[in-house]
Amino acid sequence: MTARDAFLNAASSGPSELRTANPHLDWLENEAIEILREVFGSFARPALLCSFGKDSLVVLHLARKAAAPGRMPLPLVHIDTGHNFPEVIAFRERVCAAQGLTLIVGHLETSIARGSIRLGHATESRNRHQTVTLLETIEANRFDALVGGARRDEEKARAKERVFSHRDAFGQWQPRAQRPELWSLYNAHLAPGEHFRVFPISNWTELDVWQYIAREGIELPSIYYHHRRPVVERGGLLVPVTELTPVRSDESAVERDVRFRTVGDISCTCPVASTAANAAEVIHETITATASERGATRMDDRAHDAAMERRKKEGYF
Amino acid sequence: MRPLRLLTCGSVDDGKSTLIGRLLFDSKALLVDQIEALERSRGTRNRDGTIDLSLVTDGLEAEREQGITIDVAHRYFATARRKFIIADAPGHEQFTRNMVTAASRSDVAVLLIDVTKLDFTADELALLPQTKRHAALAHLLGLRHVVVAVNKMDAIGYDATRFRRVVAAFERLATALDIAAFTPVPVSALRGDGVVAHTENTDWYTGPALLPLLESLPLEEAKGDDGTAHLAVQWVTRDTDDEHRRWITGTLSDGAIAVGASIRVFPGGDAATVMALRTARGDASTARPGDAIALLLDRQIDVARGDWLMAEAAPATGSRHANAALAWLDDAPLVIGRRYLARHGTRTLPVRVTGIRAALDLEAGRWSNASTGAVAERNAIVQAELEFAAPLPLAPYTQSVARGAFVLVDPGTHTTAAAGMVA
Ligand SMILES: Nc1nc2c(ncn2[C@@H]2O[C@H](COP(=O)(O)OP(=O)(O)O)[C@@H](O)[C@H]2O)c(=O)[nH]1
Repeated sequence: MTARDAFLNAASSGPSELRTANPHLDWLENEAIEILREVFGSFARPALLCSFGKDSLVVLHLARKAAAPGRMPLPLVHIDTGHNFPEVIAFRERVCAAQGLTLIVGHLETSIARGSIRLGHATESRNRHQTVTLLETIEANRFDALVGGARRDEEKARAKERVFSHRDAFGQWQPRAQRPELWSLYNAHLAPGEHFRVFPISNWTELDVWQYIAREGIELPSIYYHHRRPVVERGGLLVPVTELTPVRSDESAVERDVRFRTVGDISCTCPVASTAANAAEVIHETITATASERGATRMDDRAHDAAMERRKKEGYF
Repeated sequence: MRPLRLLTCGSVDDGKSTLIGRLLFDSKALLVDQIEALERSRGTRNRDGTIDLSLVTDGLEAEREQGITIDVAHRYFATARRKFIIADAPGHEQFTRNMVTAASRSDVAVLLIDVTKLDFTADELALLPQTKRHAALAHLLGLRHVVVAVNKMDAIGYDATRFRRVVAAFERLATALDIAAFTPVPVSALRGDGVVAHTENTDWYTGPALLPLLESLPLEEAKGDDGTAHLAVQWVTRDTDDEHRRWITGTLSDGAIAVGASIRVFPGGDAATVMALRTARGDASTARPGDAIALLLDRQIDVARGDWLMAEAAPATGSRHANAALAWLDDAPLVIGRRYLARHGTRTLPVRVTGIRAALDLEAGRWSNASTGAVAERNAIVQAELEFAAPLPLAPYTQSVARGAFVLVDPGTHTTAAAGMVA
């Protein structure tokens, strides 16, 4: 039996440590809360960057635990591409109202109107343009730290990312000038105009995230779970049929059982075939998954293995 | 079980990337499309046409071009028994800086020895200088376990006698460095022998293979748990209810704490009683070292980020002076007498290095007295005298990482200049 088989057996049958007690989740949770309290205690104007996707919602949940029983000490920032899944925006409004959260929305449309973003064509993917609006939002609000939900296991370029990731006055990441990170003694010193990106769930894997969502009962936008939706099959991906991604003349749409694994720009985020209706069922699927998260869902990463690293250097999320 | 954080160290070409790739691959953490991406990129095949597993771990584009790894990279995998966090510290130039950094956040060091680089004709087998450096640093940083992966066993015909000679050589090194225990494993990262399981090639070896060994290593909680709880205060907040009571937050170290316990504030010395406790799971009656907690005291006392709360039994006075090992990380050498910033616990305060007493010769594994006017350059390890701007509740690093570890920050460039461990 390979280690993988043993893992599958243990995780999908009977009460196993991985499924129930999960002491490793307690360890990850403590680490994340400690990092968040560092942010609360050492920055003047921190904010939580929230796409309302599963990773940022896990960070939001952790931030509320880190703040409890006090008030959530930082606002949420959403970079709104205007190419949203309506379910996600409805979810955003409901969660912020219910939890009394302060929400700051940076609209891509505003940057387009100002001329700081120029689109190649009207319906192109807006993912890579988000950086401009993000940096403008940071400057306008004079944020000195942005907490985000990036994980090191997502992608190679992130494997060397720090927990406290320093950004220069142009918002750029300098992979060669990263500060060594020792023990949990983070060096959060800044010069004027610089800021930090802080990643409390750096050490979590996709599986950890789903196990935590299941354990804590964290609510996600409905598109994360099974629904039926018209899609076209294009280049091995299921492309949702929307105004921005219409059916081409040589294609035909089919209704499929799907769920989304990320909530990005609607023009470049694809669902996967799934009947998983809750977090536990997603965990089962995740353990048996044969495609890692970004590979299956983001059209724009396919282009180049180093695509993420390029975007990061420019100040991407 | 909590995750096992492991540090892998080896020199260029010892097979470290292949070994990590093998661990990930054999535990099938390498998902299909990552493998496809590897297959699509150029030059990713070994001569015999199998995928070059070492490319799994090479991260940044610039590094790929140069064909080397230059910074600590993190990898994750899980088996049915345990989750693993690998810190991959590259083994060439910047190696001290990278290894110290990775080791500070690890529980176990996996040291690679490449048997093809050893001279077995000598009467007494000599290990390579880098192996001695890796072992000395693992010991300095107080890693709880050292696993010696004797790699490329296939290249020497899985020769058990030669393996035993390597183990004997490492035993001599361990004795010289005062390393209490280590576990050797014969492996071939390339062929997979001894990684997930032993094969007929290594069946003469009776100990566990690498992965089962890592799965079963015990991790006692915070080391040197002397029972005297300490909390470096991170942040103070107020209840959202009408009473607006002050909750003090931080991560507990060194000992457990319970509701009703008497504590003292450092500095200041004010005493109070713990009225209520919260952990990540909500209200609690006790908390253990490593728990991120919030606590409420029975009276209003002056506490802020940077202060400590400690069990009543802990020593009340701190010290402004310390002897400590400094691993110098910055490109600019240490300037004796210059003002740096120290971060200890959650406090940042000015500090001066007043003298260097000794330097660690990593290859000999020995401290040698420093001559007057000695300097610490990048990648040097020195024993230094420090003067902090205010008293701190210092403890020897071997007793408490929370109170024995600190970092120095350059006040001009804000770079992390040194890692410090109180003697
Ligand atoms: N014969 C043999 N070669 C190996 C073994 N492990 C790694 N190698 C080879 O040694 C070279 C260096 O390996 P790599 O993993 O890149 O080393 P690193 O620099 O330590 O990361 C490559 O050509 C590998 O194929 C092994 O167990 N046996």
